[in-house]
Amino acid sequence: MSVITRPWGRLTLAGKIILPLLALMIALPVLLLIGWASGLLPWLLGIGGQLVGDNIDVVRFLLAATAILLFTVPTAFVIIFMEMKIIAFINLRVGPNRIGPWGTLSSVVHGLKVLVKEDYTPTGADPIVFTWAPVVTYLAAVLALLVIPFAPGLVGLDMNIGLLYFFAIAGLSVVGLMMGGWASFNKYSLLGALRATAQVISYELPLLLAPVGVIMLAGTLSLNQIVINQSGNFWNWYVFQQPLAFLIFFIAATAEGNRAPFDLTEADSEIVAGFATEYSGMRFGFFFFAEYVSVFILSALTVVLFLGGWNAPLDIAPLLDFLNISINAAAIDPGGLGMGLLFLVALGVPLAILGLTLVVGMLFSHWGWIKSLVVAFILFNVIVGAAIGLWAYMAFEVVAGLFWFTGKTFTLAFVFVWMRGTLPRVRIDQLMGWAWKWLVEIALLNIFLTAGAILIVQELARA
Amino acid sequence: MTATEPRTVRSLDDPDIWVDTPATIFDAVPPYPPRTEREAEFYHLRDGEMLLNLGPQHPSTHGVLRVVLKIDGERVVDLDPVLGYLHRGVEKICENGDWHHAISNCDPLEYVASMFSEAMPVLAAEKLLDLKVPRRAEYIRVLAWELNRIASHSLFMGWLALDLGGLTPILYGFIERDEIVEMLAALTGQRLLFNYLRIGGVNGDLTHDFMSRLGDWMGHAGKQIETTTKLLNENEIFVRRTRGLGVIDRETALRTLCSGPVLRATGVPYDVRRAHPYSVYPELEFDVPTRTEGDSYARYLLHVDEVRESMRIIDQVLHDMPDGPVMAKIPRMIRIPPARAFIAVESPRGQYACYAMSDGSDQPFRLRIHDPSFFNLQVVGLVMPGNLIADTMAIMASLDPVMGGIDK
Amino acid sequence: MDPRLRRRIERTFADDLRGPINQRLDTTEMRIGAASVTTVMRTLHDDPELDFKVLADLAGVDTGSEMWVVYHLWSAQSPDWLRVIVDGLSRDDPRVPSVTFLWNGADWAEREAYDMFGIIFEGNRDLRRIYMPPDYTSFPLRKDFLLPDDAARSPGEGFRHMEQTHQPAEQLRQPVLRDAKDSLAPDRGPRQ
Repeated sequence: MSVITRPWGRLTLAGKIILPLLALMIALPVLLLIGWASGLLPWLLGIGGQLVGDNIDVVRFLLAATAILLFTVPTAFVIIFMEMKIIAFINLRVGPNRIGPWGTLSSVVHGLKVLVKEDYTPTGADPIVFTWAPVVTYLAAVLALLVIPFAPGLVGLDMNIGLLYFFAIAGLSVVGLMMGGWASFNKYSLLGALRATAQVISYELPLLLAPVGVIMLAGTLSLNQIVINQSGNFWNWYVFQQPLAFLIFFIAATAEGNRAPFDLTEADSEIVAGFATEYSGMRFGFFFFAEYVSVFILSALTVVLFLGGWNAPLDIAPLLDFLNISINAAAIDPGGLGMGLLFLVALGVPLAILGLTLVVGMLFSHWGWIKSLVVAFILFNVIVGAAIGLWAYMAFEVVAGLFWFTGKTFTLAFVFVWMRGTLPRVRIDQLMGWAWKWLVEIALLNIFLTAGAILIVQELARA
Repeated sequence: MTATEPRTVRSLDDPDIWVDTPATIFDAVPPYPPRTEREAEFYHLRDGEMLLNLGPQHPSTHGVLRVVLKIDGERVVDLDPVLGYLHRGVEKICENGDWHHAISNCDPLEYVASMFSEAMPVLAAEKLLDLKVPRRAEYIRVLAWELNRIASHSLFMGWLALDLGGLTPILYGFIERDEIVEMLAALTGQRLLFNYLRIGGVNGDLTHDFMSRLGDWMGHAGKQIETTTKLLNENEIFVRRTRGLGVIDRETALRTLCSGPVLRATGVPYDVRRAHPYSVYPELEFDVPTRTEGDSYARYLLHVDEVRESMRIIDQVLHDMPDGPVMAKIPRMIRIPPARAFIAVESPRGQYACYAMSDGSDQPFRLRIHDPSFFNLQVVGLVMPGNLIADTMAIMASLDPVMGGIDK
Repeated sequence: MDPRLRRRIERTFADDLRGPINQRLDTTEMRIGAASVTTVMRTLHDDPELDFKVLADLAGVDTGSEMWVVYHLWSAQSPDWLRVIVDGLSRDDPRVPSVTFLWNGADWAEREAYDMFGIIFEGNRDLRRIYMPPDYTSFPLRKDFLLPDDAARSPGEGFRHMEQTHQPAEQLRQPVLRDAKDSLAPDRGPRQ
């Protein structure tokens, strides 16, 4: 065995990734070929297909869970990059602008950085608890995404107690923080963990009480149904019927996510990094990602509950009816062109690019033809991409819903980042005082007002 | 002659040299018995109390300062600052060099506004020699001092906000400071440790580059500070965290020998420029801003007021700048006859004083530097107990300590 | 140069002064002995005519033959600084009463004078070293302190393990490098 381990030990990190991949790339086609030739592969596929067909629900759920797990990583990357750039602009700086165009790949570099850092356990730390703490926090963040409706029909698991499930899982993250703080064998971490626990528990109450108004209006705990109830125009959104609840929920969500101005659990001017002081490498990466994913899920929940979810702000269907326009985008069938499609792609694309080059060259005559060509190529890609996007938007409800949902969610994430760049930190006793003395009371008041309003409306409707 | 065995260097990977670390070394209790009453009283922990080390490596202790906090939950019961991590033996080094060498040795004492720390050996030697400095040099000195004061105060505002969690004001503060520091770099050649004052004057006349930068800066002087005050003055969170925090009353401040904004925020209008005037300050017109609340918010507002006064002084200085030489005629090697002198200047942190003794040679016999932050920091021990850990940072930041001077 | 101040001091402290009062430029200087520090400081602080409420500086001085403690005071009643020199302290056992009963802030200044010179301030509740590590053995600002020799005697030299930062000083007195004449002694490791 040492024959294998010795050269393995000499490889660099890149080698340790690339070499197995290469081996896989060589071995996999060979195996597939053998399997197909011997008839083993079709038989396995047949059995697999039957298995999937019998348990389609379970398979769908597993696919949804995997998709969500994979979705969180680029989302976290995007939010991390947003945070760095936006806080930089607030600070009158530029932020990362070297890696990738305008610094867009700097998040990826951060991800790689946490992968290659030294991963150690401090002396005195409890290794099992220490290792599993970030996993618990990350899972709590990821599992909460399971019930959020991204688009009509695109929800991980449409539970009829979706909101309750969401809050249950969100409370699980504090277990991870507590584990991390305790297992680090460090007084700073312990302080950070205790502060985090106190904060999250204090703000759970306003967080739960604020959407009760929305639940009363919607009559259901299912998030999918809540979004469907807000369909139509933007004045159907619950934020106009429950403005107080929206504010309370947003503030409580900021505190739940340990974001500024309530970020004293990771206050790096007081207790260094709070519960994550002793963490490095991928374990810290998990905490780091969990925080940004929780920014995403809290924004997503606010959007779902109050801002209409995947609904567009204006419903253009009545307008189109009025103008007697009917767009049947799904009817566009490129395959119907037959050979014409081949000619279109083979000749049309270069001709279009050259035509654009001429246009660009005439407009900006001081550029050379190479620069005009490059710009025209990019412009062509942008135009075609936009056209395809527009077609997809009109043809498929899913694309439209996803577009509005992510747009609104990232706008709220922008607000979170904006608050972080601007506001100083709140002290722990002030923070808990606000939660217990003010937010809970206002949330209860909101519930009573909503209940009263519903009763009044019902009476008026009956009369 | 017996040959010694060559000593093998042991690698750090050698498992023999790593010892079992007892968990107790992570505690802040010192391993020797207490030497003084106060130490015994401090390190005796009652039920529920814990020692927390705001260690020398910390993002916001303004330098390498170690504070041992005795906390009960989140409330600070007592604290014990441990100094010496930046002690460089400046006083001893000055004794071994020339009076001129002392200028660049004393520069890093208050590295944020180092014209004031340079003034120590310079003004002391001038007083010992009873030397008359040319008026133009005096005016240039005042200009440089006030510019340093503005640079230091703009940084202070940023630090205070940074310690409270606001990420933006420190960058605004650095923009303001950067312009001033670039200006002074055009004048002195250095951005941080200027080495500009000389015994008998200054190192060189005002340059065109400096004057043009100064003119540009005066056009929008303090604009970034205005932006910072707009962001912080009425900011609910900032005010809530600094108002009523670290209240020092007049008697405590006087007894703890505080000076500068810390003392003036408690209502005592003691400013060395007015109490014991030096240089050309008697001829300049400026007020001494004072506040009476004595809390962190008052200290912050006082710094803002002082920036305004500094800009008034700069205006007057530029208006009345006389012509003439910038350096008095003194020999290169100065031997000061035996004498003793005490000088004090008003630095952004308070009363910066120096007691100098000469013994007839060209080396200072004793150059004792009294740094205001050294005394201001003692107030923390009186004011902290009862507050939360988060307030430790707020209070220490509002006292504006600079560890270079505290540790010398 | 304030003649009124000079007269007041000569009148008030006639028997405590150990020399004539010097006045130069804007400073008035008086010399007293260690025994009179408490009474003199209290009178300077409390007397309404003198009213020296601000202690501007507290310094130790080693003049080579003796030690001094120099106080500088400021009063609103006089334009001069007042320098009080407590001289005549022996170099072997310099003791001065502490002024922390009047000014709390003198606490750290006295700690610094102790740390740098070895002057003991009686009455200071917290007279431990402030700049040097707690197990340092020399007093750096004394005139007989020469850095190479004294540093060699301090526990800073030698090889101290990262994990053992609190090793008592005695165990680390062995220098790392030895010259030829010490080679007859058994070669002990750095930790013994």
